[in-house]
Amino acid sequence: MMLTQIIRKFNLLILTLFVLSILSFLLVYLFPGDPLVNLTGLENLSPEAHQKLAEIHGFDHSYFYQYWLYLTNLLEGEWGFSFSSGNPLWREIMQTLPASMELSAYALLFSLLIGVPFGFIAGFQHYKLSDYSLLTASVVGYSIPVFWLSLILILVFSLQLGWFPLSGRLSLLYDIPHQTGFIFIDIFLSDVEFKNDAAKSAVQHLILPTLSLTIVTASIIFRLTRRSVIDVMSSQYIQTAYTRGLSGLQVVMRHGVRNALLPIIPLFGMQFAVLLTNAMIVEVIFSWPGIGNWLIQAIFQRDYPAIRAGMLAVSTLVIILTVCTDLLANLINPALSGDRRAQI
Amino acid sequence: MALLDIKNLTLEISGSTGWMKALDKVNLRIEEGEIRALVGESGSGKSLIVRAIVGAIPDNWRITADRLTWRGRDLLTISRSERRKIMRSEIAVIFQNPVSSLDPSATLGEQLMESIPRQIVADTWFWQRRKKRLQIAIKLLHKVGIKDHQKYLHAYPHQIADDIAQKFLIACALVSSPQLLIADDPTRGMEITTKIQVLKLLSQLNKTRNLSILFVSHDLLAISSMANKMTVLYCGQTVEDGKMVQLRKRPLHPYTKALLDSAPSFRKDLPPKSPLTTLDGTIPTLQHLPIGCRLGPRCPRAQKECVKVPELRHVQDHFYSCHFPLIREKE
Repeated sequence: MMLTQIIRKFNLLILTLFVLSILSFLLVYLFPGDPLVNLTGLENLSPEAHQKLAEIHGFDHSYFYQYWLYLTNLLEGEWGFSFSSGNPLWREIMQTLPASMELSAYALLFSLLIGVPFGFIAGFQHYKLSDYSLLTASVVGYSIPVFWLSLILILVFSLQLGWFPLSGRLSLLYDIPHQTGFIFIDIFLSDVEFKNDAAKSAVQHLILPTLSLTIVTASIIFRLTRRSVIDVMSSQYIQTAYTRGLSGLQVVMRHGVRNALLPIIPLFGMQFAVLLTNAMIVEVIFSWPGIGNWLIQAIFQRDYPAIRAGMLAVSTLVIILTVCTDLLANLINPALSGDRRAQI
Repeated sequence: MALLDIKNLTLEISGSTGWMKALDKVNLRIEEGEIRALVGESGSGKSLIVRAIVGAIPDNWRITADRLTWRGRDLLTISRSERRKIMRSEIAVIFQNPVSSLDPSATLGEQLMESIPRQIVADTWFWQRRKKRLQIAIKLLHKVGIKDHQKYLHAYPHQIADDIAQKFLIACALVSSPQLLIADDPTRGMEITTKIQVLKLLSQLNKTRNLSILFVSHDLLAISSMANKMTVLYCGQTVEDGKMVQLRKRPLHPYTKALLDSAPSFRKDLPPKSPLTTLDGTIPTLQHLPIGCRLGPRCPRAQKECVKVPELRHVQDHFYSCHFPLIREKE
């Protein structure tokens, strides 16, 4: 049963990625201008050179052949070259994507650490003063635009108080060679002196962007959790658990927490997509060398291959994460996995 | 002494139009070892009485009663913790929709074993307790007629049938060997064979364990097959109360008569294809309650005096509250 679930989700993943690859393939033809120019960035080609490039990209063959060529190149890691920098896109994405993942992961972690406990507090105290004040705070946090919040944070904490650095990922004093792209792992793996200082600098650079992402996501997670807790605590099995002679604490710990969390775990996974979108804006403001910043630069410069590859990378990441959380949620929820009793 | 004695219980609910009397001077008495049926249409306040006894009272409800005692102890004045103690060890409740009364994410075995209080396993060492609990759980399951315990202890609620779930909840209720079992419409929505099994189990428990049962339902057929006594409720007022046999043979209140007449299985003289008798109209909403006897506007025998609430009268142990009971016809 468990294996079937995994296979089904894996099928879903493969199919979605397939559709995604078709869409990104079509993008070249949908962008304005000559597809070949969009693909290579070379303009004013001589007819011979044009002919040669068309052969390389399979333009003298059918669309199916071109797609096949595109797919094999994708799988071999040849994602084309950026117009603006001339570097291979695969390498650029592998450098920027980990930075975004790192930022989003920390933001998600802190959002869960803040949102879930407060959601439980508000859910248990619902329609009381503490619930209302937390709810108000979450509405405020939820409705603040991310870019505005980041600017305010910069204004207060880095310009006026000077506690945190303004932008970037690491102080320029430290030269950490790129290995995995995740800054703390890279610092740990590198053999520079002052590893602790470098790590401290990385933490300082992380705080403000993480904070501005966390506030919005934590409010959403708080609201999801609170709603779920209220629903579960008013359900009949909780009432029955009390009449079965369990104490309040037993009821909450054994039946309340688990049932409140089960339905919202897949929703947490969905939040990652929202988070990544917000992260792109935050990256631009904090000059964070992530994929959002990189992608927005690419859009400004009409760097079509980069836009195509960046979008493919980001959506692949989101899809993989969504499918994984979905699978996880199904596997830990006994009502969704396992046999069901047939019903008429 | 009666186990549960309720006299003039009034329950008011605060709403947009002020305090509404959802229950108006309800009387109910449960003796040891009897099965008392509480009958009424939907919306007549059956479940409200159950909640008043159990103590699940929201803030916007107000309860007043001349007497609401459990074995001589006043349930309205005792402390919360003492009340919870009574609920834990002496009164047990089972609800309608058994499957939704069980935690969907825990196995049945876990839920049954956690209902076993610590005192029962206190004489064993802690590493033996799990085994002891399991033994008790299996024994209880056998008692309520679930023979295949291995299969069900590890099942989740969505994997089992309704009647198994209800039997299971009865097993949970029996853990602390209570004196009173309140069954709030336990067979609602069940098909007839599973219903019969649950009802059989309840009457068997009543006989073997001397367990009193308050059986709340509107299923007259089920009630008449198992109950000794019956209380009829209409719109928050008790209209008639007495022994099942007497009530069936000679109802005194027009509402009870109408209720019994509406059930075809109680009428042997009913010719085929004849329309069933019903009372005109529907049960009034809480916002539009008639004054006096609440049956007034629908009652075939209503007269001028019915705008006053009738006193509770009785013929021996058969209580009724009506100005014009069906007695007079015979005299």
